[in-house]
Amino acid sequence: MKRLLTWFYRFLTWLMIATVAILVVPVTLQVVSRYTDLIPAYIWTEELARFMFIWMVMLGAMIGVREGTHFEVDVWPALGERANASLRIVSQALVLVFALVFVWWGIEFTRFGWEQVSEIAELPMWTIFIAWPLAGVAWVLFLGEHFLANIRILRSSTA
Amino acid sequence: MTGVELTTGGAAAILFGGFFLLIVLRVPVAFALGLSCLPILVIEPRLSPMTLFNETFKAYNSFILLAVPFFLLTANLMNIGGISDRLVRLSRTMVGHFPGSLAQINVVLSVFFAGISGSSTADAASQGKLFIDAQVKEGYGLSFSIAITAVSAVLAVIIPPSILMVVWGGVISTSIGALYLAGILPGLLIAGAQMATVHAYAKFYKYPVYPRSTLKEFLVAGAQSIPALLTPVIIVGGILLGWFTPTESAAVAVIYAAVLSMLVYREMDRKKLVHALSETGKLSAIALFCVGTASVFGWLLAYYQMPRLLLDNVTSWGMGITEVGFFIAFAFLVVGCFLDAIPAIIILGTTLQPLAESVHMHPVQFAIIGIISLAFGLVTPPYGLCLMISCAVAKVPLRFALKDTMIMLVPMMVVLAACIIWPEIPLFLPRLISPEFLK
Repeated sequence: MKRLLTWFYRFLTWLMIATVAILVVPVTLQVVSRYTDLIPAYIWTEELARFMFIWMVMLGAMIGVREGTHFEVDVWPALGERANASLRIVSQALVLVFALVFVWWGIEFTRFGWEQVSEIAELPMWTIFIAWPLAGVAWVLFLGEHFLANIRILRSSTA
Repeated sequence: MTGVELTTGGAAAILFGGFFLLIVLRVPVAFALGLSCLPILVIEPRLSPMTLFNETFKAYNSFILLAVPFFLLTANLMNIGGISDRLVRLSRTMVGHFPGSLAQINVVLSVFFAGISGSSTADAASQGKLFIDAQVKEGYGLSFSIAITAVSAVLAVIIPPSILMVVWGGVISTSIGALYLAGILPGLLIAGAQMATVHAYAKFYKYPVYPRSTLKEFLVAGAQSIPALLTPVIIVGGILLGWFTPTESAAVAVIYAAVLSMLVYREMDRKKLVHALSETGKLSAIALFCVGTASVFGWLLAYYQMPRLLLDNVTSWGMGITEVGFFIAFAFLVVGCFLDAIPAIIILGTTLQPLAESVHMHPVQFAIIGIISLAFGLVTPPYGLCLMISCAVAKVPLRFALKDTMIMLVPMMVVLAACIIWPEIPLFLPRLISPEFLK
């Protein structure tokens, strides 16, 4: 299970790296086409860039939960290992609520976009909207992993 | 468009109360903002959790915000491509003979870096690695070294290009070209204030001084840095001349940085490139994800008409333009302690805009007051990203460098106050160079 999650995380990371790399292309095309005749002025470049961008944000947000890098405010004095693990369990349970909302209503959101196509390139909108429920699922998996790790800390220090 | 079930006060209690409770429980800020909206979306019959999806989608589906990953990528490419090293050499020849040499170089490099990148966090991360250890080895205090690295990093969002200005221009419809020009003078004044602070520290603690560089060394270092120093000229000039939109200019900067690193300075390989792409994606996505949930939060504030309520209350105090300026700065400084700058612009900038308008404050001055205050928020606890990053590099807790950071903030605050009292400071350059942008 752990290996499967690591594999999933690496897959998401590579997808995100790809979106960052590709992101530059349509915007550059837009500038090049305006000042030279090398390529025609595609009108889908702006829309494609925006959609890659949405995927980059959502993929990065999924990865951030596994890496624990989403910014948080620390108002507590230095806590012991056990207290720290307990606090983590509470905060991650709350994030889990948010993740479940993303899964549940995210599916409805995707269904709502099932028949829609984008304004310019006529891409099916569900290919974008599905990032939301997918993020929810990824968060649930990664939070589960953190939860087990924290439980292990609590157990080992009581024994 | 008001609530049926909840009064404005009730909604505000849920939103702000929920948010503070959640961040105390160490829920990440982005999730805390989203979670505190949930009860209202469920209770209010005219709303549903679908609002959460529609508003986050709308927030991310923005061509302007695309500039954020581009700015970060430019900074990362410059770092791995050996461009920073050349700028360090140039700074050394310029201010190396001042008291507190290495710390002065730290500030001057931040100014150069600010002209290339629009991200303070990228600046804090790269300069933290570059300077903190080196300064401590030369006998500077650790807390001083962390503090000066963190406070000089905030220049990156005040001196153009700037992520915050792009976001501000997009959210509150202000000319980004005018904001860029308006940021230059206050940014240089703040840098000057920081150098004066370093000077005072260096005299007091007898920090080391380097021998003066020769004119030839300065010219050589300058010549080597010219390609890197052209970046801000391309970005700001390209926008002012109407060649590109702000987002496009950021993409052009990425290409320019990539070409410099690969072809001119030739210090980039594939592994470093993938690393730069990955770091860029991670950091920008985390910052931008928060923009989505902040937008929902801000949308709900507007739904319950809180900006108007605030305006009615505050106007009854009968403040003049300068008092309003200080009020705005104070509000941004307080919010900046708890929120990242981009969501703060989305929530507070839009809330305070009617107030600024009511006293006829120039929109560009309003923006500069907000952006400088939020930039200072990057080094104020408990949520001061640049200070957190600098402390993380030095592996000490945040409170370790707090005292020196607060001391350094005092002269910087004086510059902020000056920008409030004399609107000419931010407005001078835009009026001089491109008055048409101020309309």
